[in-house]
Amino acid sequence: MLELQPKPQFSVVVPPKLLQEGYLVHFDSDWPSTHDAIREKTFRIDVVNQVPYDLPYILPTGAAGTIYRDVDFSNGSGTFQESIYPTKQNSLFEVLVGFKPGNFLTHWFIPAGKSVHALEYAQMYPDLTDTKRQYLGARQPKDSPYDDPRIKMYLVKDLAPLIMRLYVLPGVLFEKIVVGLTINKCLLREIEAPTEDQLLKAKVIRYYDYLRW
Amino acid sequence: MPSTVVAAVLEADAADAQIAAERENAVVVAKSMTIDNEGGGADHIIVIQDVFTPSAYYGTEAPAEEEIDRHKITAIQGDIITLGEEDLKGVKCLGAMRVYSDGADADCFITVGYDHEE
Repeated sequence: MLELQPKPQFSVVVPPKLLQEGYLVHFDSDWPSTHDAIREKTFRIDVVNQVPYDLPYILPTGAAGTIYRDVDFSNGSGTFQESIYPTKQNSLFEVLVGFKPGNFLTHWFIPAGKSVHALEYAQMYPDLTDTKRQYLGARQPKDSPYDDPRIKMYLVKDLAPLIMRLYVLPGVLFEKIVVGLTINKCLLREIEAPTEDQLLKAKVIRYYDYLRW
Repeated sequence: MPSTVVAAVLEADAADAQIAAERENAVVVAKSMTIDNEGGGADHIIVIQDVFTPSAYYGTEAPAEEEIDRHKITAIQGDIITLGEEDLKGVKCLGAMRVYSDGADADCFITVGYDHEE
């Protein structure tokens, strides 16, 4: 039998997960004046360089919310600082975060102490000492697997510290937590007078406060 | 799958009976175990031990080293015991994998096959 495969009428193009050379990014007006160098400006990405980095931790079980590890992505020599932030004004770090399987959860804060995932009613914020609210806003390994990461951070120079709190759930004495990062270093070149078309095409990078209205 | 052979040693000497070193971004999983106690001098209880130092966490900047027993089996004098992957299911070490015995015996040999699983 002879079969002629029909010509496909359309094809699905999966866009790349990370910013690429030639892409445009725009920092909107929500950015505070402390970030004047990028605020309300549009940039072309001239160079990208992906840097993989595994962060491993072995932690004991959480003991009713009193034992946890804060991973501070900002720069410094503190015990909990991982120094992932850029130090140059013309750098943007796009960071993918994935987890190897394990019995743990994560909570996210920026700046320290201010949860990204609080609700609006009083006390409805993540709380590891509370058996119910420890799961409020929690991201678990299945939410962002190591091989298919779905948590993304955009880091610029002097951004407030972004904190990931790691907490081992009851049921094991200790857990090994492996956080896989892919740091996509992007070199920015400013477009002084972007056209309407460039602004439409640019990826808008918003200030973190937009998550808490 | 790599494997390592050691003679039975006491827990105090378990550092000399390391099967696999710690790899920070992986766990060590036991895949097979053979205890050759055919020429041994007595029955022995053989233990797979996990040795690691936890990371710093809130309130504790320098935790102490931990030694946790992950698997225990008795090898009768004159016997050879072979365990496969199914028998060792779930036996994994977060840090280094060691073995020790309730009695030192240069004629009791322990072979452990393992993988670093990422």
